Amino acid sequence: MILLPCPWCGPRAADEYAYLGELTPRPDPQRATRTEWRDYLYLRANLAGWTTERWYHRMGCRRYLTVQRHTVSNDVRSVAAAGSGGEP
Amino acid sequence: MSRGDGGTAVSPAVMSMRLPSQPGEVIDRHTRFTFRWNGRRYPAFDGDTIASALAACGERVFSRSFKYHRPRGLLTASFLDPGCIVQVGDEPNVRAAHRLAEPGLDVRSQDTWPSLAFDVKAANQLFTRFLPAGFYYKTFIRPHRLWPAYERVLERFAHGGSTSAHLPVPERLRAYDKRHANPDVVVAGGGPAGMAAAVAAARAGASVLLVEEEQALGGHLRWGGADELAAMRELQRRVEQTSGIEVLTDSVVLGRYDGNWLAVLQRGLPQVHERLVKARAKTLVVAAGLIERPYVFAGNDLPGVLLSTAVRRLVNLHAVKPGERAVILSANPEGDAAAADLERVGVTVAHVEDVRRGGDVVRVRGRGRVGEVQLRGGRRLECDLLVTATGWTAPVSLLTMAGAVPEYDPRAARFRPDVSRLPGDVLATGGILGDGSLDELLAHGEATGHEAARRARDKAAAVPVPALSVQPHPECFHGPTHGFVDFSEDVSSNDLLTAVEEGYDSVELVKRYTTATMGPTQGKLESVNVVAIVAEATGRTITQTGTTTWRPPYAPVTLGALAGPVREPVRRSPMQAWHERHGAIPLVAGAWIRPDAYGDPADEVRAVREGVGIIDVTPIGKLDLRGPDVPKLLNLLYVNRWSKLDVGRVRYGVMCGEDGVVIDDGVTGRLGAEHYLMSTTSSGAAAVWEWVESWLQTEHADWQVHVTPVTTAYASVNIAGPRSRQLLGRLVEDVDLSPDAFPYMHVRTGRVAGVDGCVVWRIGFTGELSYELHAPASYGLHVWESLLDRGQDLAVRPFGIEAQRILRLEKGHLIVGQDTDGLTRAFSAGLDGLVKLDKDDFLGRPELTWQAENKGHARLVGLRLADGSVVPDEGSQLVADGSRICGRVTSSRHSPTLGRAVCLAQVTASLAKPGTEVTVRLVDGRSVTAKVTEHLAQVDPEGERLRA
Amino acid sequence: MPETAVVARSPIAPAPPETVVAGWVVSGRRSTAGLVLTDCTPLAKVAVKATPHGAMQERLHVPFGRAARRSPALQAPGDALLVIGSGPGEWLVVAPPGAQSRLLEQLNAAAAGVTELVTLLDITHGRALVRLTGDRSPDLLAKECGLDLADAVVRNGSALRTAVAKLATDLVRDDRDGVRSYLLHCERSSGQYLFDALRDAGREFGVDVTGFEPAGI
Repeated sequence: MILLPCPWCGPRAADEYAYLGELTPRPDPQRATRTEWRDYLYLRANLAGWTTERWYHRMGCRRYLTVQRHTVSNDVRSVAAAGSGGEP
Repeated sequence: MSRGDGGTAVSPAVMSMRLPSQPGEVIDRHTRFTFRWNGRRYPAFDGDTIASALAACGERVFSRSFKYHRPRGLLTASFLDPGCIVQVGDEPNVRAAHRLAEPGLDVRSQDTWPSLAFDVKAANQLFTRFLPAGFYYKTFIRPHRLWPAYERVLERFAHGGSTSAHLPVPERLRAYDKRHANPDVVVAGGGPAGMAAAVAAARAGASVLLVEEEQALGGHLRWGGADELAAMRELQRRVEQTSGIEVLTDSVVLGRYDGNWLAVLQRGLPQVHERLVKARAKTLVVAAGLIERPYVFAGNDLPGVLLSTAVRRLVNLHAVKPGERAVILSANPEGDAAAADLERVGVTVAHVEDVRRGGDVVRVRGRGRVGEVQLRGGRRLECDLLVTATGWTAPVSLLTMAGAVPEYDPRAARFRPDVSRLPGDVLATGGILGDGSLDELLAHGEATGHEAARRARDKAAAVPVPALSVQPHPECFHGPTHGFVDFSEDVSSNDLLTAVEEGYDSVELVKRYTTATMGPTQGKLESVNVVAIVAEATGRTITQTGTTTWRPPYAPVTLGALAGPVREPVRRSPMQAWHERHGAIPLVAGAWIRPDAYGDPADEVRAVREGVGIIDVTPIGKLDLRGPDVPKLLNLLYVNRWSKLDVGRVRYGVMCGEDGVVIDDGVTGRLGAEHYLMSTTSSGAAAVWEWVESWLQTEHADWQVHVTPVTTAYASVNIAGPRSRQLLGRLVEDVDLSPDAFPYMHVRTGRVAGVDGCVVWRIGFTGELSYELHAPASYGLHVWESLLDRGQDLAVRPFGIEAQRILRLEKGHLIVGQDTDGLTRAFSAGLDGLVKLDKDDFLGRPELTWQAENKGHARLVGLRLADGSVVPDEGSQLVADGSRICGRVTSSRHSPTLGRAVCLAQVTASLAKPGTEVTVRLVDGRSVTAKVTEHLAQVDPEGERLRA
Repeated sequence: MPETAVVARSPIAPAPPETVVAGWVVSGRRSTAGLVLTDCTPLAKVAVKATPHGAMQERLHVPFGRAARRSPALQAPGDALLVIGSGPGEWLVVAPPGAQSRLLEQLNAAAAGVTELVTLLDITHGRALVRLTGDRSPDLLAKECGLDLADAVVRNGSALRTAVAKLATDLVRDDRDGVRSYLLHCERSSGQYLFDALRDAGREFGVDVTGFEPAGI
């Protein structure tokens, strides 16, 4: 089980977190076409490589985190509070 | 049954093969006891394994083989021994050459019928053509209708013992346990290199977990000569005297996962049967040593064919004479040492056939045991013991789980791990890596242990790790005849050739087709031989052929150990114990235990409609919202408008996901200028909190809002019925309950039944005049009992979840997740009037805009059945034109108020108009007619009762 | 209506004999075992929310991850106070039973003039609070909690939130007279579950239940 370094709580096992998937930019809901909106809702790149994803530290600080993780090696190169930048 | 019982009819066995005291023996001759083997009593010494005790009494056959039911005896005399799997009491599949004998054990051979001596299924070996390679795939295929019969046949031939269901559940569960460990260094393997590594790591300041599969540390030194024993005792002393080392014997590292998360199985504990240790190691040192591999030739499974390490274990650890007259096939020093051991203890060594000088064994003959060996060149020798020492297998599982790839080294005649591909937190030492003298192994172990500590703690200085040399070893895998390759699965070398001939030319395919390496030994004994034989048959080298993949678990593990003690969080309201004392049927709703009904739910419904009832609704989700930007948040979360809500007012809201699907509903009240209390569904409480936080933390971090879940800070009671105002009035001290002062959809705070800080809501899920009371949870029971006590003359009674479901269904109130599903958007949930598409952004708005434009969506409607006595099952389909599905019943109950069924249903748009006739297909196949009702509510659709 | 003394009840059923202390029904049992579990739910608990690293944190003078017996923002006699940095921008203030109004007053005063949003919430009835004391308490916790509780990692005065018996639980290391001790608190409704899980896990170490005593915390 991977050990994900929480910026608040330190390294914690992945089962303390909720994995919320790859981050996709949210289109402007007022202007988005159906295609753009549904791409946002349903389409994911699912890369074998570095991805930017959202995790939620459910059993710990209860903060939403932006994580850069390599989906093959499970290496994590950055973890930051969500909303603090770093999102695509 | 012919096998007798109690051991009274048959005299106890005697230790006819027990040797005089041996220097390294692990048995305590002062402690002697008996246990039973297939009903007969056998003596044993403390320290004997089940198999060594039996072998000491001259027993040679311990099981019948899987397919052909051939007699099998000792082969490896270790945990892996494929012929020594037995039933001990209630416990199946016990490794008899590993498990220690205990006084009074009831040990039986498993998978034999009617007895070990006369096995009916042994007739299979006369008909081997019926059980060819891939027989699973060739037999029992057609006709399909006979599958139940095939299953019964296959079951009889399956591996395994039996387990009884008689042991009481709590005892069974307590037999298994779990714990966590966070050592700096885990050393897997307690042989010389592993012990040296553990000591060095601990001396460098690391906390160490040293895991050894056998019952004692020492590895191959345990069955060695005087020098080896002296070295072992010195190492054991160092381990014992070095602080910071926790030793787990009779334990095994089952798997290595990401981040050095290790599953360690600990056996042989006094209070628990098996314990799973979940260890997070900073560094893992794999020191698993080497496993001796069997040799393939005709008759190689006859009792009396033993590996050299098996002979050395029996003689030196358990003082058991493995036979009287031995022939030894030796390709290495271990074989020579076994020959020396045997001579020392008085076994006649008839001949040593040296592979290094071109020797080989052609076949072994004998009836149920070894009688004669035929050597290369045709020489035949009488003997009762054939010892083979033909090479080693490196058990690389843990290393391959970490990314290492085993590579074949023809010089050493074994696969060796390519450690250059290991991550930095995994190291290897000892025989798994290379050969060397004991001093070289110790030096390597010590340097590796030091390096492991350095990597774990980053404190110690780096020291170079010496390289381990590799000693040449002849490549010998099989003789000139066919024999068994996989003893557990009864797969012969001939089966492998058949598989290759049939086109299964990759070792992974051969494995799956023949099931070689898929039995209880999981390839540890047979893998290399399989690869070598497939390589030869396909005309490729062993390197080109490669190995099969090693996966966790390294050793078998019981499901009990994986499950461990049951830990599933449970939530209870402060009144739950009261409910159960008063006959409530408990209902498990998510993590909550709730009262389903105290008696007949219909009576509870009538009490609410005619008088007053109270229900425990503590699980209703409650979020305390504070801050100036709460209205912005509510506007974002709910599909309806929230900007203007006066203090003391309550509004119903519905939340949708960004796909427009309804995710939750509930009321929110404004308690103060910047203070709101949101309620959610009981099942949605946790998810809604996370949903709210996600928007506040990601998209709107600038909003000034604090959200605190207070679901269980309050005991919540709904007081419902025409007399609810009268009842509550007797307990409320500082809230005016009159209709004008406290109208429908308002909220007040005050003192109830002497308890301060209560919140009183006038809302109504049941459709009656009703109040929802939130009291500080520690006083919940007091408030509940006060309501019942003070309302006796009003005939107040508690009602449960079932009555509430009926009441709300009569009133047409939807339940999210019951009348909606994961695809139901707001306009399909009867919420048309609520959704404000002209509002600025709210969650779900784009999809709901498009849903409103399309209009083709399903609708939630009420149904009235033509035959009022029929109550369709929930989930019943609505059909049109005889068979076209056009909807489904989402909620359905008999209404005590109306004396007929009331239903909610999802229907296609064309059928949603009130008065439309639809056909309901019942579960039993009958069809009944129903009409779409004017309103979702079938009781008091105008809402006069709840506004009273 | 004539109210005789209204008593509060913890979600954890008290081990017999029952007695009433400070308006709470508690266990009167006294154990001398080396490893004991006590239901401390009657303690007053006030949650504070503010901006992480903001002005309120400065006034409380307790960062996330630490628990302190003193805070410049609060006056309490003797040892009767524990300020726990329980989350980023979140604190839990614990004091003897009935102290919640006093705590709220003092915290309100401390929050005066702070421009960031500060929320004070009495959650005395919203949390279950359990104390585990004894040298073997880390061994007991290791059965239900994956975190490394080694002295060097979780030293005295540490506060953290993690899964204990699969339940989100706040864990505070708060040694008593040099003996390892941990406060654990969770959602009130799971209090009995947590208590039972700890008792079950501690059986092999001889854990016993001892009743609540209001002196100190």
